[in-house]
Amino acid sequence: MAGKAGRQSRSRKADKDEEEHPLQAVLVADSFNRRFFPITKDQPRALLPLANVSMIDYTLEFLTSTGVQETFVFCCWMSSKIKEHLQKSKWCRPTSPNVVHVITSDLYRSLGDVLRDVDAKALVRSDFLLVYGDVVSNIDVSQALQEHKQRRNMDKNVSVMTMIFKESPPGHKTRCEEDDIIVAIDGKSKRILHYQRAQALKRLHFPMNIFHSGSDEFEIRFDLLDCHISICSPQVAELFTDNFDYQTRNDFVRGLLVNEEILGNQIHLHVTKDGYGARVSNLLMYDTVSSDTIRRWIYPITPEANFSDQEGQSCTHSRHNVYREPGVSLGHGSLMEENVLIGRNTVIGANCTISNTVIGANCVIGDNVTLDRVYIWNRVHIADDVKVTQSVICDNVEVKHRVVLNEQCVLAYNVVVGPDITLPEGTVLSMHHPDEEDDEDEDEFLSDDNDVGHSKDKAKQKVFNPAEVGSEGKGYRWKSSSLDETEEDELAECIWGLVLNADPESDSESEVSEGSHDLGSHPASPELDDVKVFQNEVHGTLQRGLDENITCDNLVLEINSLKYAYNISLQEVMQILVRVVLEFPFQQQGAQMSTAQYSSHLLPLLKKWAPVFKNYVKRPQDQLDCLASMEEVFLEREAHWAALVKVLMSMYQLEILEEEGIMHWFKQSSSTEKSQQLRRNQGLLKFIQWLQEAEESSEGDE
Amino acid sequence: MELQAVLMAAGGGSRMMDLTYNTPKPLLPVGNRPLIWYPLNLLEKVGFEEVIVITTKEVQKALSTDQRLKTDVKMRLDVVCIQEEADMGTADALRHIQQKIKTDILVVSCDLITDVALHEVVDLFRAHSATLSMLMSKVHEFTETVPGQKGKKKAGEQRDFVGVDVTGKRLLFMANEADLDEGLVLRKSIMRKHPRMLIKTGLLDAHLYCLKRSVVDFLVHNKSVTSIRGELVPYLVRKQFSKTLNSQNATEDSERNQKQQDAHHNLELLSTSKDEALLQLARERSCWNDHRGDMSEAYHGGKLRCYVHIMEEGMCYRVNTLAAYIEANRVVPKLFEDPPIHPAAVVSERSLVGSDSIIGQLCHISDRTSIKRSNVGTSTIIKEKVKITNSIIMNGVTIEEGCNIQGSVICNNAVIGRGADIKYCLVGSGQRVEPEAERTNEVIVGSDQLMEI
Repeated sequence: MAGKAGRQSRSRKADKDEEEHPLQAVLVADSFNRRFFPITKDQPRALLPLANVSMIDYTLEFLTSTGVQETFVFCCWMSSKIKEHLQKSKWCRPTSPNVVHVITSDLYRSLGDVLRDVDAKALVRSDFLLVYGDVVSNIDVSQALQEHKQRRNMDKNVSVMTMIFKESPPGHKTRCEEDDIIVAIDGKSKRILHYQRAQALKRLHFPMNIFHSGSDEFEIRFDLLDCHISICSPQVAELFTDNFDYQTRNDFVRGLLVNEEILGNQIHLHVTKDGYGARVSNLLMYDTVSSDTIRRWIYPITPEANFSDQEGQSCTHSRHNVYREPGVSLGHGSLMEENVLIGRNTVIGANCTISNTVIGANCVIGDNVTLDRVYIWNRVHIADDVKVTQSVICDNVEVKHRVVLNEQCVLAYNVVVGPDITLPEGTVLSMHHPDEEDDEDEDEFLSDDNDVGHSKDKAKQKVFNPAEVGSEGKGYRWKSSSLDETEEDELAECIWGLVLNADPESDSESEVSEGSHDLGSHPASPELDDVKVFQNEVHGTLQRGLDENITCDNLVLEINSLKYAYNISLQEVMQILVRVVLEFPFQQQGAQMSTAQYSSHLLPLLKKWAPVFKNYVKRPQDQLDCLASMEEVFLEREAHWAALVKVLMSMYQLEILEEEGIMHWFKQSSSTEKSQQLRRNQGLLKFIQWLQEAEESSEGDE
Repeated sequence: MELQAVLMAAGGGSRMMDLTYNTPKPLLPVGNRPLIWYPLNLLEKVGFEEVIVITTKEVQKALSTDQRLKTDVKMRLDVVCIQEEADMGTADALRHIQQKIKTDILVVSCDLITDVALHEVVDLFRAHSATLSMLMSKVHEFTETVPGQKGKKKAGEQRDFVGVDVTGKRLLFMANEADLDEGLVLRKSIMRKHPRMLIKTGLLDAHLYCLKRSVVDFLVHNKSVTSIRGELVPYLVRKQFSKTLNSQNATEDSERNQKQQDAHHNLELLSTSKDEALLQLARERSCWNDHRGDMSEAYHGGKLRCYVHIMEEGMCYRVNTLAAYIEANRVVPKLFEDPPIHPAAVVSERSLVGSDSIIGQLCHISDRTSIKRSNVGTSTIIKEKVKITNSIIMNGVTIEEGCNIQGSVICNNAVIGRGADIKYCLVGSGQRVEPEAERTNEVIVGSDQLMEI
């Protein structure tokens, strides 16, 4: 408690003499995910080259140009490499306006850990910028910073964070499909009221309480790209400490919005119209951001500016965005069409066609090579007659002659491919065997260089498959990770970002179905769909329960969780359960089955799932509901009325239904002729009679 | 003729029964003119020559006798009477006059008082070849005390949520808070087409609609729709994004059997004028589109479009509650250039009539009377030493000597006894307030004996 009070007084003091404090930034040079595997097995993501400059340099350049004077770089994975890189860079020269401190620890597992450490070490004194090491941006945050400070001065410590967004409507190239966020904000104060990732959602749901904020204008924005740049007040670090379960910034934002009324903290947003800011979160974004860099959207950060001030990096800029570093030689008849960047001392053969491509330093490209949207890093050898489209080729790769790489191939470090092979779309090759990853799954974040040595031993034991990499090839094929068991509740993450199945189609379906509801149905019609989906899910659950022999307790658990997921009332759950179970044999065996077959299939199922029923059928009203929905099902299947008695009998014997319930249902005045007919069924009458007698006799016993 | 005007004047004024129980709503005096004069004037000013008025027998009779309406309104009024007992909604009324409707229509409610530039609404309708365009306005806060109302109005009223696109013109979403207890649900496909949606609350629907002729045909086929505001408009807004409408051919074939009915109605909604093919061609040839960010065709291929014009400033009242009635009476006189005191009124030299008050014709105002911020209707007699502030006195009222009337509404032919002191009261038509009575915050109406002490 004392510590907390101390912190607060410190932050208050910090507010007073805010002016004196230089602007600080926290740069997280680790992504805490494995989206760039296997590339990042050899090089941390922050050091991967983007237009021949390491990504972390872009981030530092952005911070410095926006006025940051002190940056804390937090690294974990391969921290020594990052440290080495930074020490050689201009940021560590004495003339640098931005003092860079590198803080390394192998214990960071998430952004939350980093910020907790920031708090523990008391590094920040005032508002600070929080960015990742893979953010490329030219946004001038000073205006946003000013707004942030104004808000904080006006309302002491209420606004804790200002997130920076860039306008990027759906369909725009930089819209990262994974970050498909939807934000609801207060129209005037720009306060974030609701923040949600919307991929895989068809309907966007906004709770009503966000509209009770007293404003009369709200904005729902689906055209924003999260730049992953946030202006944080020192409380952010404290809040991470107080809430040790916050791992990511997403957790933080969600937690804050949900608990807003309790904690009284608010998050605001700032939208930049003309600035550029994007996080290279997958290879698709890498592709987009690289090409935007070359097309000069991030001006003044352009390739020829050589902002990282490295020797020999300076290049010339000519028409159609063709950049050449010194020492480039281009063979006869080779054509650089547009948006091409070629690193120093690279040699290109004759009759090549190159467009939208970045080539690193000291590469050798043969004759008759066609490259389109290819990112080639350093010291790569490409032989003659090679054709590559939209791929990434890492350092020291050798591509032998007549190799064709289709879209979205990745050749990680030191791989050799060919000759005469065509790699299908989405192939990922690496010198690391995919299995070794699993072996060290536990400590992959901790392991560093020794890991690499270790894996080399392993690699020796395994043989390269010539069908995958060609007769002289070296490397292992990585399965597209969409097959990965998705233990993380995140979506199936693959290196190129989400696999985008064209969902306009599925979308239109729902639209059609909505169109069919006519006037009578209210906008609340989504419920209908939910019920339907829920029914399917219940069916799936039961089917799985049958296949995998899941216990009834677990089935109940699953159904309950579905109930919450689709917001189904308990009564509906039971109705649907009854319907699903009664229709189960039809689903399995087809609709054309005799009554005898039907009941012989159904009765064992009923017995098996009796505990599930018992869980939902408790009160007398439940029994009536259950019977009513049974009646409903059987009314639809006139041919199987004879089975109804058997079902009732077995439910009665299983003690799911009691005789009072059945009698009450039977006596209910049925409205339709058909249900009256049903009640006149011979078998049913006998059963009822039997029940009555049993009742009387039991009364007689008493 | 491009648009036919339809004036809905058959409503009973159910939200202000105290005022309307024996004066029909269209005839309530506002600034010494019947309420119906205002929408008629609005239409006439923009050049309508003919208007279809849907109303009751009673109002029709009054329309033909009212002198002021006769002289002021030059338009041809095509009055259609409907039975009062039939309990017809506005959509029912449109169905009723379907034979008369030859073109697109402009529907106006009789309780609308506004100085909107009507072309704003119509231009939206024209420019986007819209199916519906409507008028909304920022809600005005009522400042006056309302007679008989205890305390301030509750804030917990149900709000309307109106979603518009970034231009603030295209109507994307419409719902009442009461229907949203599950939360606000939007389809992602809508957000994809209109990635920036403004949700506004605190808007007043002026009940002024431009509708395509085909909508009337649609109503003829869908008898279940009874009200324009309650059912038709939300339906049209929702329909904008339904697939069946937009890609008709595909769905019509595949679902002909089950949805024949539905498709038929849709067809009705879309059967447009003969120019449609030409418009379509123009749109294809043009590089214009209505959104940013992608290159897909204008309106994303949607054929049904709803627009709204939201008045940021200016005056817009719907006189459908007592509070709105009082507020309208306060504001409206400022708009006229007529002399505040009618030439045919007899006003004593020794009385004090504020410039913020208006006095109707044939009034008789005696000595030492003071009238401030009040409206006094025709043929009203005000005797000596009466003080009237902030009040609305309708026609034919008699106020005896020494009365003090403040913040009140006195309806037609009421008689206020000598020396009565009335504050924030509503005196129903034909009521008598006994001499020397002191009333505060009361509603004095009806034939109940309680009032006659």
